[in-house]
Amino acid sequence: MTANNRKSDEGGYVHSKAMQGVAATVALALAVVVAACGSSSSSSKTTSTPSGKPGAGKPAVTIGDKNFTEQFILGQLYAQALRAKGFTVNVKNDIGSSELIDKALTSGQINGYPEYSGIVLTAIAHDNKSYASPQATYDAVKKFENGRGFEVLTMTPFNDVDALAVKPPYAQQHHLTQVPDLKGVGRFTLGAPPEFKTRFTGLVGMKQVYGITNVNFKPLAIGLQYKALDAGQIQAADVFTTDGQLQRGSYTILKDPKNIFGFQNVVPIFSKKTLTAEGPAFTEVINAVSAKLTIPAMQQMNAAVDLDKNNPTEVAKKFLQANNLL
Amino acid sequence: MKDFVNAFKFMGDNLDLLVNKTVEHLELSGAAIAVALVIALPIGLWLGHLHRGSFVAINAANVGRALPSLAIIAIGLGILGIGFVNVMVALVVLAVPPILTNAYLGVDQVDRDTVSAAEGMGMRPWQVFTRVELPISLPLVFTGIRTSAVYVVATATLAAIAGGGGLGDIIVNQASYKLAGVIAAAIWVAVLALLVDAAFGLLQRAVTPRGLRRAAEVSDAPPPDEGAAAPLVAGRPVPGIE
Amino acid sequence: MIASLSHSLITAQTVIPKFGHADDCVRQNRTFCWGWFSDHWDDVFQPALLDHIKLTLIAVVVGFAISIACAIFAYERGWFERPFSVFAGVLYTIPSLALFQLLVPVTGLTELTVEVALVSYTLLILFRNTLTGLREVPEDARDAARGMGLTARQMLWRVEVPLAVPAIIAGVRVATVTVISLATVAAFVVDEGLGAPIFAALQSSFNTEFIAAGALAVLLALLADALLVGFQRLVTPWARAGGTR
Repeated sequence: MTANNRKSDEGGYVHSKAMQGVAATVALALAVVVAACGSSSSSSKTTSTPSGKPGAGKPAVTIGDKNFTEQFILGQLYAQALRAKGFTVNVKNDIGSSELIDKALTSGQINGYPEYSGIVLTAIAHDNKSYASPQATYDAVKKFENGRGFEVLTMTPFNDVDALAVKPPYAQQHHLTQVPDLKGVGRFTLGAPPEFKTRFTGLVGMKQVYGITNVNFKPLAIGLQYKALDAGQIQAADVFTTDGQLQRGSYTILKDPKNIFGFQNVVPIFSKKTLTAEGPAFTEVINAVSAKLTIPAMQQMNAAVDLDKNNPTEVAKKFLQANNLL
Repeated sequence: MKDFVNAFKFMGDNLDLLVNKTVEHLELSGAAIAVALVIALPIGLWLGHLHRGSFVAINAANVGRALPSLAIIAIGLGILGIGFVNVMVALVVLAVPPILTNAYLGVDQVDRDTVSAAEGMGMRPWQVFTRVELPISLPLVFTGIRTSAVYVVATATLAAIAGGGGLGDIIVNQASYKLAGVIAAAIWVAVLALLVDAAFGLLQRAVTPRGLRRAAEVSDAPPPDEGAAAPLVAGRPVPGIE
Repeated sequence: MIASLSHSLITAQTVIPKFGHADDCVRQNRTFCWGWFSDHWDDVFQPALLDHIKLTLIAVVVGFAISIACAIFAYERGWFERPFSVFAGVLYTIPSLALFQLLVPVTGLTELTVEVALVSYTLLILFRNTLTGLREVPEDARDAARGMGLTARQMLWRVEVPLAVPAIIAGVRVATVTVISLATVAAFVVDEGLGAPIFAALQSSFNTEFIAAGALAVLLALLADALLVGFQRLVTPWARAGGTR
């Protein structure tokens, strides 16, 4: 319900069940007054399915994605590869952070979405244990999701984790190489997405694990933290390690020795019902795409969108073509 | 309905947060209104005193009202970057026109006979201004300030988009505060805007010279319309949104 | 599944194609890149602008219909003025971001939510201007109408409403500009209007997109204001002298 509730690229609207409810007096009164005038409702177009392909005749699937560039690309990668095999796929773009998109998933508005393994545990399962490896994280995610009716497909080779970035002169001045060093810099301002405030892979973990309390938190839309850091309005920024913007300026990424930010490989999560209905070819297509997603591949696709302002749809298409997935 | 019940529960549980954000919200708003007063009030009053520049004073209001705050903030993001200055610029742009226009109209519309009488009594221009024109125009001048204040408090919600803080921070952070928090902050900020309107209404009454109270109440009626920007010259502010 | 992953990793390395570099201005995110703006007029800015105009027109037309009806009702039955003014005044004071968020649980992430909010911001202005316009019809005009034997209904539609037109148009002007301004915030709810590229630009802090979308919204508002002033003068040439504009 923040900037995250955008229309899908297919013309449908995200409309989470959590947002259903009954009215406040004012709102309702007005709604009644104006309801009569009506309003154009969303239309959902479906792509025609060529016969002879594994997805032909299978029920339509809705894939969601979260509220930042990499996710827009991932949503397009999976959707386009599936469509090429005859599946009918709608994409609901830019739904929001993990906390919000999980509601869309569990309420059935989307059938699946690409998530990051570690964040499933901390933000959704509220499990702040430390896991030793990507595989251990993955296994824990699988156990959690299986327990509530969802399946976790193969994880990607790439890992995109939160990290704290500072400008190199600031790092030199305060001898910063790792996150716990921030304890010694006096009060500093950290810019990060709003949800960072209440996440274990965020301020909560920084405080509990590293004892960092000398931080002023500045909530910023994802993307703006680079602008703020470059302008010196914040001293540290939460970034994603595959961000394209990291190629534009020079930044020092602080190490996370106790790994509070965890392992964050992408795991497509789908409801078991959907996977059964779509058949094994569906899973195979998704896994084939995931297998190609290495760190350099993701970094360059992100940069192509954020630095060179290419359209995520086009970037995904080029990548799939180059890897014979279209 | 559950969402709204939860919203009130959220208010009870997170009073500290709401109060902190409200303070931030009011600091930002107050600063913007102060800057706008410093800019607009002297110019408006002076032009009114001279009965000059009506074109400027009135069109400032029309043009100012036409500038979408979010668009100004966006342009500011491109040029000034995030944070306080950017949001301040947008809020000051919003706050100046009603103050300027009403200050101008307030003084300009003081009955000419009254002014002549004061001059006849031997008052110097400065005395005419401070002892006659200013007190008489006060209700209308104050209406402009009240309108600006409500505009600014309401619009400061958008500051969160550009890292400016305030109650908007809660509204755009459903991930942390859940739907209940978002609705709670939305209700809270709406009530805050209404309270500011009411508070300025009381203040306006208090600063209105006793002899003028009736006149002020008369001007509370809808404005005589000449194709004017009705809300700006109305007694009761048609207050702010955004 | 693990097997299939290692299998595909062995059989084929990832190929990273060339995605095409933007020019230096865009890559370095300079303040404003004309080239990018003109390249994306067709696919980004023009559709957003048209959506914005559409959102505005719907809101003003619906708000106009509601307000006129309510104002005439209040003109005929005085008691109605106060409650409706308070209702519309409260709506007008609620910050837009808050109103959108309060409506979403009721009407969802839809254009309906956007239009309900936008319409609610037009009511106070249009209602008040219309009512004032009607009340300021000179008594002479009414007397003349009565003298001609017009019924109350005929008088309303043939005399009073036409004479209130200047005030009504003045209200439409203020309402329109207000709605254009607030429609930028609608992008919080639906991906439409000039707010959409503003929010999209946040993702990469892209200056050109911020400035272009913001400037278009400002220009649209100023242009609409100017057009309505022109229209106002066209339909009411007699009101030109002495008007406050």
